[in-house]
Amino acid sequence: MTSIGTGYDLSNSVFSPDGRNFQVEYAVKAVENGGTAIGIRCKDGVVLALEKLVVSKLLKHGANKRIATVDRNAGIVSSGLTPDGRHFVSRARDEAAQWRKLYKAPIPTSSLANRMGSYVQAYTLYSSVRPFGVTAIIGGWDAEDELPVDGMVGSGPSVGSGGKQEGSKKGGPSLYMIEPSGLYWGYYGAATGKGRQSAKSELEKLDLAAGNLTLEEGVKEAARILYFAHEDSKDKEFELEMTWISSKDGPTKGRHEEVPKELREEAERLAKKALEGDEDDEDTKMEE
Amino acid sequence: MFRNNYDSDTTTFSPQGRLFQVEYAQAAVGQGSIVVGAVSKSHAVLVALKRQAEELSSYQKKIIQIDSHLGIALSGLAADARVLSNFMKQQSMASHMTYDRPISIADISVRLCDRAQTHTQHAGSRPYGVGLLIAGVDGKGPHLFEFQPSGDAQEMVAASIGARSQAARTFLEDQVKEFESMDEATLITYTLRALIRSQPEDKVLSYDNTSIGVVGLEKSFKLLEGEEILEHVKRAYRLEGRAPEEYSENADEGGSME
Amino acid sequence: MNHLPQAWGRPRDDVYGPYNNSYLQTSGPSQHTQSPIVTGTSVLAIKFKDGVVIAADNLASYGSLARFTDVKRLLRFNSRAVIGFGGDVSDMQYLTRLLSSLEINENYSVTSSTELAANNLHTYLHKVMYKRRSDFNPLWNQILIAGLDVADNPYLASVDLLGTTFSSPTLATGFGAHLAVPIMRRVCPDEEAAKELTQEQAVETVRECMKVLFYRDARSLDKYSIAVVTKEGVDLKHGEKLEKQSWAFAEGIRGYGTQVN
Repeated sequence: MTSIGTGYDLSNSVFSPDGRNFQVEYAVKAVENGGTAIGIRCKDGVVLALEKLVVSKLLKHGANKRIATVDRNAGIVSSGLTPDGRHFVSRARDEAAQWRKLYKAPIPTSSLANRMGSYVQAYTLYSSVRPFGVTAIIGGWDAEDELPVDGMVGSGPSVGSGGKQEGSKKGGPSLYMIEPSGLYWGYYGAATGKGRQSAKSELEKLDLAAGNLTLEEGVKEAARILYFAHEDSKDKEFELEMTWISSKDGPTKGRHEEVPKELREEAERLAKKALEGDEDDEDTKMEE
Repeated sequence: MFRNNYDSDTTTFSPQGRLFQVEYAQAAVGQGSIVVGAVSKSHAVLVALKRQAEELSSYQKKIIQIDSHLGIALSGLAADARVLSNFMKQQSMASHMTYDRPISIADISVRLCDRAQTHTQHAGSRPYGVGLLIAGVDGKGPHLFEFQPSGDAQEMVAASIGARSQAARTFLEDQVKEFESMDEATLITYTLRALIRSQPEDKVLSYDNTSIGVVGLEKSFKLLEGEEILEHVKRAYRLEGRAPEEYSENADEGGSME
Repeated sequence: MNHLPQAWGRPRDDVYGPYNNSYLQTSGPSQHTQSPIVTGTSVLAIKFKDGVVIAADNLASYGSLARFTDVKRLLRFNSRAVIGFGGDVSDMQYLTRLLSSLEINENYSVTSSTELAANNLHTYLHKVMYKRRSDFNPLWNQILIAGLDVADNPYLASVDLLGTTFSSPTLATGFGAHLAVPIMRRVCPDEEAAKELTQEQAVETVRECMKVLFYRDARSLDKYSIAVVTKEGVDLKHGEKLEKQSWAFAEGIRGYGTQVN
């Protein structure tokens, strides 16, 4: 059934006779025009990456960061309407801060995804608002070590109630993707935006479920996949923005940070090389 | 009355995922008179062409100082800009009060964006109808941001918004690599040249229709108007290889006669 | 003896005197904190030519009871500021959380804003403390902020539960304001002297003062934290022990140490 002209697609929160909310579907269209964003959940961390299309020569190179930090240990990359993405991030930061106020601990990534899912869903319920024009990927590392009793203060009891469990391990990497409908899933590898189809098929080849990919390999794969997805969509220039989160023992010490320049450039160099390699392969096949 | 069914409010997406009301608000920015901005590694500059509503009225204010390290140039609905500039002044003062620190240019731009974004997602209000160039200096050097009613702000090396601004942008794009190393006077001259290029031959930058705002690492935001701009304008025309009558060598010093 | 229910679980009036009902006030103006409960004692700090040294012991007292002996009263905020808290420990914990949320906010974007300097933090804490005292609900602390200011010069200032601010090349809170300040002023009487002082001299003076305070302050401990803030960053050590104590002086003082009469 077509949406246009029926009148069921003119307002948010209205169902069509066959049970669809067209305004949400149109919001998804806004996402499909945005630069490709991906997230990879590696065995020792999470990588977030974004293809930032250069729309003007006058833009300052390397400025205008779009992957945002939430709390200390989580990051959000989104595709679609940039201002909506910023609104989404601002809410996520509020949720994380509220959680800390209440529980004196960082919000687990799963809870953050859950809260944000509910928030986005609420924007599909009312005719007075429109749905979010973004699909957001949330990556986080839940701390594996025990939290101090109250931030910096004291060390707490060494035994008994509130005492420490020797060698206890929990937490780890998480990756979630939230759509304009408010629907979200946990992912091994997530992709959204313009080049999501080819990015997804590349992610699937990595066998992420096996949990063998290291964070550093993840960074390189993320760069390669974005270059690959970009090539397909025939856009002109783009900037690659990448962030990562490792465990406490890893390179970022449990924090969400930008991938260091050297590593990013190395990853981009390899990505370009891999693309050229592919082209060579195709050429030789043609010749054959 | 409407161009299509999907452009009557900000809470409706078109089937292509567009927000027409926001796009129309962006069009309002293009109706305003042109403003141009650029940054070097030491300075940020704004220049603007002011309109006179009628013969007996004053010229419209285009550049507003927000703080001693920061100012804006506007194009579009001036009334909206006044609301936004008041908001920016409040944010800027709050930073001084709470932290004894001038607010960073990126921070204040983001706050502006967050505010503008809410007007694009909730019914009962309209998006702002004004675009801003935000120029200032903070701990990380000089910055220039271009703010749009959609709630987006991008950091630029140079920018221009308003009527006929495409010609100015084309000029800026040609020069984009040069700005970084320019000194204050050169930077002003080049932004003025972009302004000149956007205007038809017979429209001359004068004494009272041009404003300049400049801020530097070692220099508080300063609004130049009237006599103060003449030297800069003359130099810009000279570099453009044009000599309007008003600025020919034998015209008397002191400026423009319309 | 009173067997009525309102007396149940209360100390007997005939033995302990009448219960002070003013604590159970049901009418009259609303009251907030009237006194601190679990407290930390002095914080000391001294400026030197390249930075600031700050120290505080690791004790939290419940009245005269030495209740917690591993409390960290120095907080590293970032690479250029350390905050030392005297006074109520739960209020210190509240401020710690407040500052940690500030720190998280500051780090959302490392590219756009510069790190908060010590003087920025001091202004912020002053706002918080003054607001609370103006609400008649003070945070019962005396706070020292030690570090580098925006221009990377050594910075040391205090703010207290009344929202009063003060700055000096040597500062101490609590008992230390009486006992340590004169000693510190001997090596660092003014800003000029602070510009000449070496890090070693400053650290040595602070350690000496911690020792004097342990001798004379009955709410102090011989375990302490000490931090040095310079352009190289923060060197913060917890659980330092007082060394080379000499209690010989106690012999000559009546009512002190072993001599009772």
